[in-house]
Amino acid sequence: MDTRTLEPLAVPEIAPPERSLPPGRWVKENLFSSWFNGVLTVLLAALLGWALYKIGRFVFVDARWEIVEVNLTNILVFRFPREELWRLWVALYVLAAAFGLGAGVATRVRSEDVRQGRATPPARLMTLRRLGPLLAVVAVFLWFAKSVEATILVAGIAATWIAARAGGRFVPPRHARRAGAAVLVGVAAAYLVVSAFGGVGWERWGGLLLTVFLAVGGIVISFPLGVLLALGRRSSFPAVRVVCVAYIELVRGVPLITILFLGAFMLGFFLPPGSETPSLEARALVGLVLFTAAYVAEIVRGGLQSVPREQTEAAVALGLSPLKTMRLIVLPQALRAVIPALVGQFISLFKDTSLVFIIGLTELLAVSELITKQPEFLAEGLIIETLVFAGFVYWAGSYWMSRESQRLERRLGVGER
Amino acid sequence: MSDTALGSATVPGGTGEAMIVVEGVEKWFDHFQALAGVDLVVGRQEVVVVSGPSGSGKSTLIRCINRLEKHDRGRIVVDGIELSDDIRHIQEIRREIGMVFQQFNLFPHLTVLENITLAPRQVRRWPKKRARQKANELLLRVHIPEQAHKYPGQLSGGQQQRAAIARALAMEPKIMLFDEPTSALDPEMIKEVLDVMEELASSGMTMIVVTHEMGFARAVADRMVLMADGEIVEVGTPEHFFVNPREERTKQFLSQIL
Repeated sequence: MDTRTLEPLAVPEIAPPERSLPPGRWVKENLFSSWFNGVLTVLLAALLGWALYKIGRFVFVDARWEIVEVNLTNILVFRFPREELWRLWVALYVLAAAFGLGAGVATRVRSEDVRQGRATPPARLMTLRRLGPLLAVVAVFLWFAKSVEATILVAGIAATWIAARAGGRFVPPRHARRAGAAVLVGVAAAYLVVSAFGGVGWERWGGLLLTVFLAVGGIVISFPLGVLLALGRRSSFPAVRVVCVAYIELVRGVPLITILFLGAFMLGFFLPPGSETPSLEARALVGLVLFTAAYVAEIVRGGLQSVPREQTEAAVALGLSPLKTMRLIVLPQALRAVIPALVGQFISLFKDTSLVFIIGLTELLAVSELITKQPEFLAEGLIIETLVFAGFVYWAGSYWMSRESQRLERRLGVGER
Repeated sequence: MSDTALGSATVPGGTGEAMIVVEGVEKWFDHFQALAGVDLVVGRQEVVVVSGPSGSGKSTLIRCINRLEKHDRGRIVVDGIELSDDIRHIQEIRREIGMVFQQFNLFPHLTVLENITLAPRQVRRWPKKRARQKANELLLRVHIPEQAHKYPGQLSGGQQQRAAIARALAMEPKIMLFDEPTSALDPEMIKEVLDVMEELASSGMTMIVVTHEMGFARAVADRMVLMADGEIVEVGTPEHFFVNPREERTKQFLSQIL
């Protein structure tokens, strides 16, 4: 049998044409190519410079950051009892260990992929760059805290993460799934450290802690729920389909605030008399989850529709059951296709957690507003400082998610086909 | 079933034992009749090449055999199991039939190795080690052992199609269906795929191949089938077809593609 392929012809190597210009010519060609462009460049440069000057002057000179400095713990946790704060530190150490381990295992798997030519080696200092926005927030917090203990504790967390990551690299890739389970156990343990064993329940969480809890909880629960709704909407059982369509269209037609209000003030009417009403935090979380799930469902449905029918045919032709075809072939491809939209929805959710302040929860934004009403800051007009600070934290979180999504897209090769 | 109506269409070749029996099968797509009463018996280890102009129902016929399409009338029996609405029968038959598609339809999110081991692991419940071993053997057999850990998108069309053949063979099917396996390939890659199919045929696999590759048909087919307008026009050995076709439509078709 003959499977020889044609020998490639020897082609002399030709360098691609030079595209980079010397700086002087670049400026001339791109910024001053005509008198009109020249005027535009000068005007815009002036505008930009002025804006930067104003912002820089506010942030570094005019702003009275003492309101943030004094209230740092309030912004982070608000009503969380101060004598129980150690629980949060312990939880952070546990999380650092768990995610460090996960990162180590992921690195090992990645290097294995690189070795077998399935992936490109990561860029240098990738981890540091990936965590950049979050590290910036931590740095700002530490700068305001000016506390030796806090700095040491944070350094300890970083050290724990690094050590766990180094340990994770010894885990062979075939145990990657188990390592994933270990990360989940770590998260559960961290949660228990905070809330169980005489700990602090949700009703006393606040500030950034509550924001992060609502966002993470909302994402983690609404994602599988949304996927189920999307599958239900394509189900061949009319009853399932009708229920899912009705749910999705109903929820998408109502503002989030309405759902939060309903949960906060009207849930009691629907519960059987005498039953205990869940905490306001729990109701807010449920509201966010129910709302987001409907949007996730529509995004995922788009993804499902983008997977060619031939993929299903190839899978069932191999004898795979409809369920396995969905789980192993269609869903993975569908979800890959909609990563940008999904992450967009989750960024929305992260920022929408700020809306729970209208039902009386004191998350990051509410705290930022409340602290300006303390006697020593009343009528000082410091709301701009606190809002800028809260805005910075929201921005860092959103930007981090956005970059992670882009990275995930590249990694999974969304544009490959 | 009447033996006279279609002559050799109902006489099994190969070992003489019927592997696939298609009897009076009709298929409608809304108001378009894709199959208008097709009778065909394929014997064990027989290689049948199906040709015909586009829209003649060739693909529909083989897609009915593994229930990618549901036939509206008639009977299809595969290795003694009749295709009905019973999902267990369908699954059982699909396990025994490997299919190769025009567009390869490899799973783009899995490596070549994972593409091949998926069904044996999930459907046959083989342990990972056995599935991998089988996959490596098959990759060797289709001459792309070095591509095991790549993704389909990193392979050429011919390599993808050979990987798709390996994927189908991993289930150790009794029957292989090929739906225009070389139509989407660049000319220089057609041969490598046909070579693999030829080897497969000589190993005694029961095969139905929808193709216009007449060279392949002449060399490999036990029987050839010409379809037009949802019906079988003529059935015969390659010699019969190329030397002395009986029907006018066959002559016309052959003159167009040869």
